Amino acid sequence: MDDSPLFGADLSFHEITEKVSSHTEKKTPLAWYAAFSIANIGLMILLVMIAYLFWNGIGVWGLNNPVGWGYAIVNFVFWVGIGHAGTLISAILFLFRQQWRTAINRSAEAMTVFAVICALVFPGIHVGRVWAAYWMLPIPNQMEMWPQFKSPLLWDVFAVSVYFTVSLTFWYVGMIPDLATMRDRATTKIRQRVLGVLSMGWTGANRHWRNYEKAYLLLAALATPLVLSVHSVVSFDFAVSIVPGWHTTIFPPYFVAGAIFSGFAMVVTLMVIARKVYGLQDIITISHLEKMNIVILLTGTMVGFAYITEFFMAWYSGVQYEQYAFLNRAFGPYAWAYWTMMSCNLFFPQFFWFKKLRTSIPFMFVVSILVNVGMWFERFVITVTSLHRDYLPSSWDYYSPTAVDVLTFVGSFGLFFTLFLLFLRFMPMVAISEVKGIKPEADPHYYDGHGDGQAGNALPTPAPGASTTA
Amino acid sequence: MIELPVLQNSERDSGASSPRTRFWRSVEHLERHPEYEAFTAAELMPGASGSPGQTSRRGFLHIMGASMALAGLAGCRKPIETIMPFSRRPEDTIPGVPMQYASGMEFRGTLRPVIVESTDGRPTKIEGNTDHPESTGSSGVFEQASLLGLYDPDRSQTVIHDGDAATWADFATFVATRRAGQSVVLSPPSSSISLAAQRATFEARGGRWVEYDAGGSDPSSTALQSVYGRSLRARHRFDRAKVILSLDADFLGMAARNSLQDSASFAAGRRVDESGTMSRLYMVESAFSVTGGMSDHRKAVKASQVAGMGAAIARALGVAVGGGEQFDGDPWVTAVAADLRHAGAAGVVVAGDTQSVDTHAIAAAINEILGAVGTTVELLDLGASQVATRAAGLVNLVADMAAGRVDFLVMLDSNPVYNAPASLGFEAALARVPDTVHAGLYMDETAQASRWHVPVAHYLEAWGDGRSFGGTASVVQPLIAPLYESAHSALEIAGLLASGVDRPGYDLVRQAWQGQIGGDFEKGWRKILHDGFAPSTGFASVTPAPAGLAAALAGMRSAASQGIELVFRPSPSALDGSFSNNAWMQETPHPTTKIVWDNVAVMSPSTAEALGLSIALTNGQHLVDRAEISAGGVSIDAPIWIQHGIADDTVVLETGYGREIGTNRERRSARFFDLDHETDVYANGAIATGVGVNVDPLRTLTAPGWTAGATVSRTSGDYLIATTQDHGALPDEGVEMEKRGMFRMATLAEYRANPRFVTDDDPKIIDETEWDQYPALWQNSHPAAQNAAKDNPYFGNQWGMVIDLNTCTGCNACMVACQSENNIQVVGKDQVSRGREMSWIRMDRYFVGGDGHGELHMVQQPVPCMHCENAPCESVCPVAATVHSPDGTNQMIYNRCIGTRYCANNCPYKVRRFNFYNWSKTLPKTLHMAQNPNVTVRSRGVMEKCSYCIQRIRAVNRQVNVEGREIREGDVITACQQACPSQAISFGDLTDPESEIRKAKANPRRYEMLAELNVKPRTSYLARVRNPNPALEPAVEAAAGEH
Repeated sequence: MDDSPLFGADLSFHEITEKVSSHTEKKTPLAWYAAFSIANIGLMILLVMIAYLFWNGIGVWGLNNPVGWGYAIVNFVFWVGIGHAGTLISAILFLFRQQWRTAINRSAEAMTVFAVICALVFPGIHVGRVWAAYWMLPIPNQMEMWPQFKSPLLWDVFAVSVYFTVSLTFWYVGMIPDLATMRDRATTKIRQRVLGVLSMGWTGANRHWRNYEKAYLLLAALATPLVLSVHSVVSFDFAVSIVPGWHTTIFPPYFVAGAIFSGFAMVVTLMVIARKVYGLQDIITISHLEKMNIVILLTGTMVGFAYITEFFMAWYSGVQYEQYAFLNRAFGPYAWAYWTMMSCNLFFPQFFWFKKLRTSIPFMFVVSILVNVGMWFERFVITVTSLHRDYLPSSWDYYSPTAVDVLTFVGSFGLFFTLFLLFLRFMPMVAISEVKGIKPEADPHYYDGHGDGQAGNALPTPAPGASTTA
Repeated sequence: MIELPVLQNSERDSGASSPRTRFWRSVEHLERHPEYEAFTAAELMPGASGSPGQTSRRGFLHIMGASMALAGLAGCRKPIETIMPFSRRPEDTIPGVPMQYASGMEFRGTLRPVIVESTDGRPTKIEGNTDHPESTGSSGVFEQASLLGLYDPDRSQTVIHDGDAATWADFATFVATRRAGQSVVLSPPSSSISLAAQRATFEARGGRWVEYDAGGSDPSSTALQSVYGRSLRARHRFDRAKVILSLDADFLGMAARNSLQDSASFAAGRRVDESGTMSRLYMVESAFSVTGGMSDHRKAVKASQVAGMGAAIARALGVAVGGGEQFDGDPWVTAVAADLRHAGAAGVVVAGDTQSVDTHAIAAAINEILGAVGTTVELLDLGASQVATRAAGLVNLVADMAAGRVDFLVMLDSNPVYNAPASLGFEAALARVPDTVHAGLYMDETAQASRWHVPVAHYLEAWGDGRSFGGTASVVQPLIAPLYESAHSALEIAGLLASGVDRPGYDLVRQAWQGQIGGDFEKGWRKILHDGFAPSTGFASVTPAPAGLAAALAGMRSAASQGIELVFRPSPSALDGSFSNNAWMQETPHPTTKIVWDNVAVMSPSTAEALGLSIALTNGQHLVDRAEISAGGVSIDAPIWIQHGIADDTVVLETGYGREIGTNRERRSARFFDLDHETDVYANGAIATGVGVNVDPLRTLTAPGWTAGATVSRTSGDYLIATTQDHGALPDEGVEMEKRGMFRMATLAEYRANPRFVTDDDPKIIDETEWDQYPALWQNSHPAAQNAAKDNPYFGNQWGMVIDLNTCTGCNACMVACQSENNIQVVGKDQVSRGREMSWIRMDRYFVGGDGHGELHMVQQPVPCMHCENAPCESVCPVAATVHSPDGTNQMIYNRCIGTRYCANNCPYKVRRFNFYNWSKTLPKTLHMAQNPNVTVRSRGVMEKCSYCIQRIRAVNRQVNVEGREIREGDVITACQQACPSQAISFGDLTDPESEIRKAKANPRRYEMLAELNVKPRTSYLARVRNPNPALEPAVEAAAGEH
C-alpha cells in the first residue's frame, strides 16, 4: 500500500466524533425517508412473493426437471458472496494491520450481516416443503433421526449460520465503544436507555479496553478462517455433486476469490454513495476507495484466471461431458449469460490498472455495479447452464425465470437496503474509536520527547466522545 | 361447452302443487317464466347438497355395497348376479387385499382379454390375462387407461331428453312407443355375441342396423373376401417369419387391433441371443410409426404410392399385377423382392388398415406366392357373419335421413357428428330425423345434437361379451355397479330396442351363452367367468384357394400422385376420440414426436420448406406455425410439426382431437393468489374440449386412410406445442448422443463378429478395473455394508432390471401402466411445456442417421430409475429422504422429503420428478377411486421417482413370510414389466443364480448407461441389433460417403 494519507483533512478527535455521530442524532432528513420508502416497497415485494410462493408451491418459479435450482440458489450464493467483504476487511485486514480499513470496516461489516440475512432467506424458501425446512438442523427428536451428514447442503447450513453468528458478534463487539460514545452524547431518555443497554456499561476504563481488544483480536482470528471456509463450503454444494460443470476441485478458492471480489465491489458501490450523502469524504477518502479497487482488480483477475482454468481442465481431463458443459456455457443457449459474466468480471476490472480510472468516482461506481452484475451472472452460469444440459440429451431443457423469480430477487434488495438504511440512521456508520486510533495523536508517544513536529498545532480540547479513546 | 340443466323431472314437478294451495314468490314464479324455471333447476341440481357431479361418500358406500353383492353376498339393489373372482376367494374378503377378476375390453371390434384388480370393491388396475390363449399377459396403453375412463368425472350421468334431465324409465317408456320397424341403429363394429343376438332380433322385427367405424372400414377383410371368396381375418405369425414387409402397416402401434399379439410375436422373432438369427423388417410407409422405428429398412413414400410399391415387389416375385411401374428395377424393390423370395414361406407381407383394398390384395397375392399362408399368415374363418359394406351402409343411411325417411335413429356408442366425414353431411341429415337417441359415455358432439341422450355404462360396470382377434370368446364381467344409476350398457339398450322389454345385461348375456356352453351351464359359465375365456372357441385357421386372386388384382393401375396427400391415422393417445377425455392418454407423449395434449399436422422438412412453414424452439418452448389444410372443400386450421422420415408432400393428421364434450362440472375458480385453477387439468370442464383439432371432416368414406389433392397454406399466428423431449430440434444433441453411447446398437453381422460390441462404446477404464468393479466412494460405509442392512430379512433379495432395446418398440404401455400403478398425476400442457411432467418411466426417443448419413432410424429407450448401488442422489440429500433399502433399491421417503431438489440435480439420468404443485389436491373426487391404495399419493414439494414397484415387492415379502417360503422367480412383477407387450423388461432377484434376470445380465449385449460415473446402476440395457439387408447396406454407405 502506498503512503497516501488516511484522512482527507486533519480532523480532530472531536470532529471525527461529530461527523459520525451527528447523523444518528439530528432530525431524520426527508431524503432518508424517501430512500427508506423505496427500500420498503422492495421489502414488501419480497414478502408478497414469498407468501405467494408458500401458498402455491415451487411451481411459481421457472424451475423444471433438469434445472432444479435457479434464481433462489443463484441469489443465495450471490448474497453470501457479497457478505464476504465485511469480515475480510474487519478480520483479515485487521490482523494484517491494514489501517486504512478503519474508515470502511463498520459499514462493510454491516453490509456483511445484512447480505447474509438476505442470503439466508433463500435456502429457507427454496425447499419444497418449507414447513419442514428445520429438519436440516440437527435437532434431537424422538425418531433419533439426524440430518444426513454427507450432504453438502447440510455443511452449508452449518457454515452459513456460523458465519452469520460470528459476523454479527464481531460487528456488535466492534461497535460497543462507539455506542458508548453515542450514549454519552445522547440527550433524550430513550436514547440514553437504549444505547446504555447496547453499550453494555462501557466506561472506557483501561480494563474494558484491554478486554475489548483481546476479544476483538480473538474474534478476528476466529472470523478469518470463516471468510475462507464459508464460501468454500458453499462451493461444495456444487463441487461435491457429479454434474458436469459443477464437479470441479477449483471451486473453493475460486468461489472465495469471487466472493471477495463481489463483496468489495458492493462496498465501493455503497461507500461512494454514503460518503457523498453523509459528507464523509474526509474519512472515507479516495485513497481508501482506490485500495479497494486494487483488491477488485486483483480478485477479478483471479476469478478470470479460474474461468480459463476451468476450460483448460475440461479439455485436459478428456471427459466429454465436462468438455460439452463448458463449450455449452460459452456457445450454447446461455452464451449471453456467459459473456456478460466474462466481460463484467474479467474485462471491466482491468481498467483499474490505470490510476486515473481507479481513482475516478463515477468510473469506479459503474465498474463496481458491473462487477456485481457479473458475479450474479457467474452464479447463474454455474447453476443453470450446468443443469440444463447434463448427461442425457433427452432430458435437456431450458430454464426461464418467471416474474416471481425476478421480483423475489428485486425484493431481496429491498430487504438489504431497508436494513442498511436503518443502520445508517441509527448506528455509527464509521468505527469512531478505530479511526481515532490510527490518528497520529493516538500514539501514546505523540506528545513525548522533543516537542515533535506536531507541537505547533493546537491540541484539540477533549470532546466528550474522545474521552472513550485510549 | 354447454351448460346442462341437470334436473330430474320429478323433483321439479314436486314444486308445483295443486292450484288450491299454490304459493308463489314472484311473478316469474307464478307465470312459470322459463328463466325462473332454469333458476330453480340450477338450485336443485342433483347432488348440489353434497359433491356436485361426483360420487359422494354415501354414493361410494352404496356402490361398494352393491359390489359386495356382486361378489356373492346378498344385495338389495339388484338381483344377484354372481361373478367369479379370478383367484380363489378367501373365506371372507380381506379388506385391502385386492381381488382379481377376468374380463375383457372391446377394442376396435375385437375383445382384449384383461384381468382387473379390484381393491375393496373398486377397480384399481388392469392387466392382461396371462391364461388367455392369445394373450401373453401384457396390456396396451388403452387397456391401462380405460381404468381412468371409468372414473372420468366428465362421464354423462343422467338421461337427457331435449336438454332436460330424464330417467331411464322415461327412456324405456319412450322406446316402448316405437316399433322396431321404424328404428335405425348406428353402432360401431362389435365382437359381442349377445349384441349380435339382440341385433338379429332387432333386424328380425324389421329394424335396420348400420355399422359405422370411425376408423374407416376394414380393407383387409374386403380384400380377403374378394381373394378367397369368404369372410376371413389375417393373423400374422411374426415369430415364424424371417422377412417381413409392411406396406404402411403400423402393426406394432398401440392403435392396431392386434398390436399386443403382434408385438409379442414380432419380439419373439427378434430375439437374437438364442438362435443367433432374427427377422428382418422392411417398412414402406408415409408417416413415421413405431413399426417404422423397429424396421431394418424403411422407405418413406406417399400413401397413394404404397400400393404401387407393393405391386412392383409383387411383380418382381412373379405376380401378374399392374401399377407402380416406376418402381420396377428400383434397387430397394429388387432387394426386398429377392429377400422375400429367399425367405419363401418364412416371408410375410402386411398391409395397413389405412391402405386401400388394392394394397391388401397385393399383400395377399405375395403371401400366396411365397406360400406364407398357413405358416406366417393364418387366415381365420370368421364365418359368413361379417361382410364389409360399412361405408355403403352409412352413405345410404345418411341419404335416407336427409330425405326424411328415417324417423327414429339410435346412435349406440358412436359419435358420427364428430367423426363422420364432412362431405357426408351427417349433422344436417341428423337434424331431419324427428327422434334421435345418442347412447354414449359422454355428453359429446352427437349427444348435443340428439334429442335423447342415454349414458352408457363403462365396460367395467356392465355385463357383456366378445371375441378376441383370434376369435376366443369371453364374457365381460362387471367389477362395480354403474357409478351413475341411469347408465346402461349398449347391450341393454339394444335389448330394449330389440324386444321393447328392459332386461338386465346379465340376463341378455346368459341367454346368448345358453347354447355356447356344453354340459352343466352353471358350471361352465362360472369357469368362463373365472378364466376369462371359453376355451377352444377361436376362429379356425383355414387355407382356402385364392380363387378370386386374379380378379382382385386385375385392373390395378399406377395411382396418380399429385399435390399434397393428407394421411389419417388413429392417434396413439386419443385413438378415434374415445380416449381423448382421458388425462393419462393426453399426457402420454406421442411415440415419434413426443408431443402431448395436441395433434399436429406432421410433415417432412422439405415439404415444410416448400410450404413456407417452420417450427421454432425458443427458450425451451416449441412455437410452431399454423396452417390451413383444405381438401374436398373442407378446411381445418392446425398447428404443424416437422418430422424427418415423413414422405415428402405428405401431411400426417391424427384423429381423436378437437373434441367438444359437455360436462356438468363447474369451472374451477380460484382466488387471485391461488393457482389451483391453472394447475388443475380438470379445471375448465371436460379435459378433451379444446385440445387439438378435429381432422375427421377432411376424410372420405371411400378412402379413409388418405386424401389426395390437399392444399396447405400458412395462417397467421404461432402455437405453443408441449413436448417431453426437445431432441430432434437441436443439431448438437444428435452429435452428443452418438458420442455418449447412451443407446448402443450394431448390425447383426457386427453382433455375430463381436457379441460384446457394447464395450466399444464404453469409456476407457482406469487401471484395468472394470467399471462395475471400480471401488465406490463411501464403499466401506455403504448402506449395504451395514449390519442393519445385512440382518434385515429383505437383504436376501437384491433386485435388478434389464431392458431389452432390441424388442422395445416404444409403444408407451409401460408408461401408462406405471402411471396407473403408482398414482402418477397429470400436470397438463402448460406444465409439460415447462418441463414438469411426472412420468416415472419415460420413453427417450432418438433418431439415427438420415439427413445424408444413411437411412433414418428411430430408436426408443425406456428410462426408469436406475437404482444405482452407489446412488448420487442419496449422498446429497440433507435429510436422508432418499436411502437404500436392504434389498438394493433406492427409495424415496416422501414423509421425510423437504424438497431441496438436490437429488434431482445430481441424478445423471434425470429420472427424479418434483411435485412443483399439489397436483392431487385438485383431483376430482371420482378419480380418488382410481388411485392405488398401496402407493402414497404425493403432495406438493416432494420428490418422487420409480420405486421398482416397491409396493409389489413388499406385498410378496408379506406373502412369503406368511407362507414361510423364499421368494420365487416370477413372484414379483413390476407394472412396466407386466404391461410390456414385447416383454422387453425383465426384473428379478440378482441373488438367484437361476433367475431370468441373471441370464439377462449375463447377456453379451448388456451395458449400463453412464457406467463410467461409477454409480453402479441396477438397471441395465441390452443393446439393439439391427438386421439390415447386406444388398442394401453398401448403397447406403455409398450415399453416406457422398456427403
